[in-house]
Amino acid sequence: MEMIDALRADAAKVLADGRAKVVIGYQARGDHRAPLFVTTADRAASLVYDDACKQNLAVYLRKPEVKLLGKAAVVASPAAMRSLVLLMSESQLTGDDALVLAVGVGEYHGVLELAQVAPLLKEKYAALAPSPELLREIEKLAAKTPEERAAFWAKQFAKCTRCYACRAACPGCYCTRCIVEKNVPQWISTAAAGHGNYAWNVIRAFHLAGRCTGCGACEAACPQGIPLMLLNVLLGQEVEKEFETKAGYDPEAKPVIGSWNPEDEEDFIK
Amino acid sequence: MLKQQFARRFLSICAAGLRTRRADWDRTGLMAETETKKVEATPAVFEPKIVAFVCNWCTYAGADLAGTSRLQYAPNVRIVKLPCTGRIDPLFILKAFEGGADAVLVSGCHPGDCHYTSGNYHARRRWAIFRRLLEFTGIDMRRVFFSWVSAAEGAKFADLINRITADVRAAGPFERTNPARRRLWK
Repeated sequence: MEMIDALRADAAKVLADGRAKVVIGYQARGDHRAPLFVTTADRAASLVYDDACKQNLAVYLRKPEVKLLGKAAVVASPAAMRSLVLLMSESQLTGDDALVLAVGVGEYHGVLELAQVAPLLKEKYAALAPSPELLREIEKLAAKTPEERAAFWAKQFAKCTRCYACRAACPGCYCTRCIVEKNVPQWISTAAAGHGNYAWNVIRAFHLAGRCTGCGACEAACPQGIPLMLLNVLLGQEVEKEFETKAGYDPEAKPVIGSWNPEDEEDFIK
Repeated sequence: MLKQQFARRFLSICAAGLRTRRADWDRTGLMAETETKKVEATPAVFEPKIVAFVCNWCTYAGADLAGTSRLQYAPNVRIVKLPCTGRIDPLFILKAFEGGADAVLVSGCHPGDCHYTSGNYHARRRWAIFRRLLEFTGIDMRRVFFSWVSAAEGAKFADLINRITADVRAAGPFERTNPARRRLWK
C-alpha cells in the first residue's frame, strides 16, 4: 500500500505547488478502473493503481479538452511511459508539456519530467517484453497454413463492430482524420463486415508498425475481444528483427516506416 | 403466374449471386431469364488475375520496352502505373485483393535509381513489414510479389510476368480463401 500512498501524496503535492493543473490517474469503479482527472489536491486520495489499470493515460495528453485544463501530470506504467517517449519522438509532446507519475514494476519512481522518462526506461525497463503466452500464441498461429490463418482472422474480424475503441484507446492513433474516415476515395469500407473489417484491422495494425509500445490498451478497450495484440506484437517483433529498433525508448528516434537505410534487407525483392 | 415468375427470378438471382462475383451478379443475376441460367464453368486452365503496381520511371518503361521489343508475356497482368513505388500505399494492395486479384506485383526502380532519390527505399521498408502482416493474416507470399525492374530490363519484365503467372496458376484461384475479398452480404 506504500506505493499508492506515495502516488497520492505526489499527486496532491504537484497540484498544491501548481507544477501541474491536473493529475490524470485511475479511479476504482467496482472491478473496473476508470480514468480520473484530479484538479484539486484534496481529491488526490481517490487515486488508485493496480494491475486492473489497463488504459493508457498518455492518450489524453493530446486531447484539446484536456490541454485546456492546463499542464497535466499523468500516471504512467512503463508501457505508457514508452508511449510518452514515442509521442516525443514524433513531435507530439515537448519537454515541459507534462509531468509523469512513474509507476514501475513493483516500485514507484516518483514525479518525473518528460526528459527523465527515456533514461529511466533504458535503465530499468529495456527488456520489457510481451507475455510468454502471447508469444506462444503468435508462434502457433504463424505455424498454421495461410488458409487456417485466414479463417482464424475472418472469425475474429467478423466480431468487429467498427466502434474504433482500439483507435481511441491508443496514444499512437492521433491523426485528426483517420484514413478510415476519409471517403474521397473510400479506401476502407465502413460497413462492419467482411472486407472492410479486414482492411481496417490490418491497416490499423500497420499504421502502428514500429510505433506500438505494447501497452495493450487497444485490446483491453475492444468490446468484442479481438486479439489485437497478436498483430501489434508480431509487427513489433518484425520491426525489431529487420531494423533493430524498439518503439518508445529514444525521444530522438526517427520513425521506422518513414525513414530508410540503403543497407536495408531486400532478399524478398526478386 | 406473375408471382411465380418473380419467385423464380428471385431464386435465380440468389443462386447466381452466391456463386459469382458482384460484377457478374449484376450482369447474370438481374438479366437472368426465368429459366435457370448455367453459371459459366471454370475454364480448364485457370487464368489468374494479377494486378501490378509499377513505377512510372523504371518498371513501366521496362514493360514498354518488353512490348516494343515484341517480347511475349502472359496477358494475365493488369498494370497500374504510379509515379513512384514510394507512392504505393499498402491500401492499394488490399484494394486489389478486395476486388478479386489472385496476386499482386509491386515493382519499381532498383535501389539507387529512384527518380525521386529515395521513394524506393521508403517502399522497401514498408513492404518488408507489410508482407509479414499480410502473411500473418492469411494472404501468403504466393500471392504477393516484389521486384525491381529497370527501364532497360524489358526481358526481365517479361520473364517476371511469365514466372509469376505460372506460380499463381499453380497456387490456384484465390477467390475462396482470400480474406480481403469483397463479398455479398449474407
